[in-house]
Amino acid sequence: MAEHGCSDESVNRRKYLKALSVGAAAGLAGCTGGGGSDTETTEGGSDSGGSGGDTETGGDSSGSTWDSQLEVLHGWAGGDGEAAVTALIEAFEEEHPEMDTNFQAVGASANVNLNATILRRLANNNPMSSFANWPGKNLERYSGALMDLEADVWDAEGFKDTMQARAVELCKFNDKMPAVPLGSHRMNNLFYNTAVFEEAGIDASSLDSVDALLDALETIDQNTDVTPMAQAMVAPWTNLQLWAQILTSQSGVDAYMNFIEGNPDRAAVVEALEALKTINENYITADASSISFTTAGQKVISGKAATIHQGNWVYGMFRADDSFNYKEQWDWIPFPGTEGIYFYHLDSIVAPSNNPSREETIAWQKFVGTKKAQIAFNNPKGSVPLRTDIDPSELTDFLAMTYEDLTDSEAYPPTIAHGLAVTPKTMGACKTAFGDNFMGPFKVEATADALIEAVSE
Amino acid sequence: MATHDNTEHVSDAPDEAVGWESKLQYFLNSDFVRSAPYWGIPFVLMSIAVYGGIGYNFAISFTDYEGLGTPDYSALDLEMYAQALSSDAFIAAAQNNLVLLVGFTTICLVLGLFLAILLDHGIRFSEKFQTVYLLPMSLSFVVTAQLWLWMFNVESGILNLVVTTLGFNPVDWLGNPSIALGAVIFALIWQFSGYTMVVYLAGLQSIPDDQFEAARVDGASITRTYLRIIVPQLKEASVSAAVVLMVFALKAFTFLYALVGRYRPPNGTDILATLMVRRAFKFGEWAYSAAIATMLLVMALGVIGPYLYYQYKQGSL
Repeated sequence: MAEHGCSDESVNRRKYLKALSVGAAAGLAGCTGGGGSDTETTEGGSDSGGSGGDTETGGDSSGSTWDSQLEVLHGWAGGDGEAAVTALIEAFEEEHPEMDTNFQAVGASANVNLNATILRRLANNNPMSSFANWPGKNLERYSGALMDLEADVWDAEGFKDTMQARAVELCKFNDKMPAVPLGSHRMNNLFYNTAVFEEAGIDASSLDSVDALLDALETIDQNTDVTPMAQAMVAPWTNLQLWAQILTSQSGVDAYMNFIEGNPDRAAVVEALEALKTINENYITADASSISFTTAGQKVISGKAATIHQGNWVYGMFRADDSFNYKEQWDWIPFPGTEGIYFYHLDSIVAPSNNPSREETIAWQKFVGTKKAQIAFNNPKGSVPLRTDIDPSELTDFLAMTYEDLTDSEAYPPTIAHGLAVTPKTMGACKTAFGDNFMGPFKVEATADALIEAVSE
Repeated sequence: MATHDNTEHVSDAPDEAVGWESKLQYFLNSDFVRSAPYWGIPFVLMSIAVYGGIGYNFAISFTDYEGLGTPDYSALDLEMYAQALSSDAFIAAAQNNLVLLVGFTTICLVLGLFLAILLDHGIRFSEKFQTVYLLPMSLSFVVTAQLWLWMFNVESGILNLVVTTLGFNPVDWLGNPSIALGAVIFALIWQFSGYTMVVYLAGLQSIPDDQFEAARVDGASITRTYLRIIVPQLKEASVSAAVVLMVFALKAFTFLYALVGRYRPPNGTDILATLMVRRAFKFGEWAYSAAIATMLLVMALGVIGPYLYYQYKQGSL
């Protein structure tokens, strides 16, 4: 009996020690295993060259006041976006050659990877200095984790007077100002291949309504071998975006504003969907469902498609092709029926709270709002600066025209497909409405129901 | 009774008089402790990385964790599971997953068996064919997805070149929701039938030639020989190949993601993995996604479980 008792006791002790050692090992493993951050680092900064101000190897603090690394995440990993952000970084490093910087391009396609990385890092309480994102309702995504730059950046630099009032409003979120605007794309565009329009005998300036556009597309279809319109449907946002233009064109800015504010007019929604259905069923390229907007843009350049509706980022793409020039091979009109309206898009640089490099972040955010930064970035990007005191001659012809429209339009409805107009959740639901019901076959009623449900929630 | 220096039987030490120092000494000298560095470290790493992750996922799925901040463990319920089960998107994704699982696995097995039997007949260049069939398996999903994206292109893809040459209308492989899943399965089969072929080929080659000869002498036709004698002996190979394929089917996420470069795959091909990642990393619905992840895990266990049990019954585990 005694033996048994003793044996039990020592077994217990053994168990106890076992548990203890396992616990200690677990703690050790937890400490050593947890710290790694796993973003893909594409050094945007250090190899940009030319400026002579290469990034520091750290430790060099002769006369410098910076002691933390500035880490900025953005999604401009290729093409015109990469050129633009490289120009911006070069300009910044000229200004602050002694700062240790780490600019990371995270993925490409429509900010999917960027947003996921930011969300994950903020959720893990591992914030970066700044990141590129849309301001406005989009900031809802990061609610509760944003830094207030109002006093340190906005007031200190007087940006509230030099930025467009609209941009100032969109950079406010929950009584804070966590973002500085970088550039604006215009959304209501129709780019066209002049040779094809000529061949089909279409006068672009006569396109003043969706019906006129539909007639023109039909004429192109009849008179030429070219597909009337390029449309990218690998993702649903292009349909959402085009639909918003059609809705505004047919039923006016008020109908659109009512929709995003949660009072949709079903008849108007359906009418716009019907027109979009006509376009998608008859006038777009057959491979639309598997191509992205860059491929769609290429079709206009190569003359396989006559027109494309997109944000004016395709301008950045067109310009990269030396044999495809503004007013010669391609031209632009506002989306038919939306003259005098500037459909508003905004790129901005946002700072999270609990910032790892407060002073550096403030210096960087101040820089983003300067004329120098806005011109350096926007020219290659195909977007326009938000400052009201830019000399248009500093911009390329097309951008100078867009810039003038930006400062002088009748209405500036915020874009729905790019974060400004509705919360990320609603935007997601709107995209899903198109994704589920409008990728062919095109179900007008089902899409209308889903859209209305999305904004009415 | 046990001697004091027999470290294997520390617990049997009967003497109450032995001090705790000696007991500790025995303990530290035991095989258990001395071997701990060898099995303990992998054990701990495994527990944390895999089972810790599963446990954390499980815990989060009962909360309402969303967006930034920390999960609140004070109110745990099954709401997220109920929400998922009543959502059309979840049901559709689960159905697609099931179709993918069954369709892909079955066709892969049948096709792989067929190829293996052909190669086993010692046709000319059989080794070369074997390599040709197996090669796609060695490619990454990212490569094969891009390849198939080009081949599926409606205007310039090679598949439609074939279809239109045969006089049919071009097919919108990925754009038409009722075809898209089939197209994806087709691409996956292309990639993995080589694997099943190799597994079957190994099985076939281990069957002695005598059996073929005996069957021939007895007058059995080739079809009959295979159906009655050879294929039944490939049960082991089938089961292990099927399990690997099913697991691949459950995690076809990589292929779908690489296909479009975003979290929303082509319409009609949304599976649980893509739905889960989308809800989590696009919308920050951590709890909801964790619930989907748990159900995905249950499905995967549902596939693996019977296999493990089968192996156990066979005495291989």
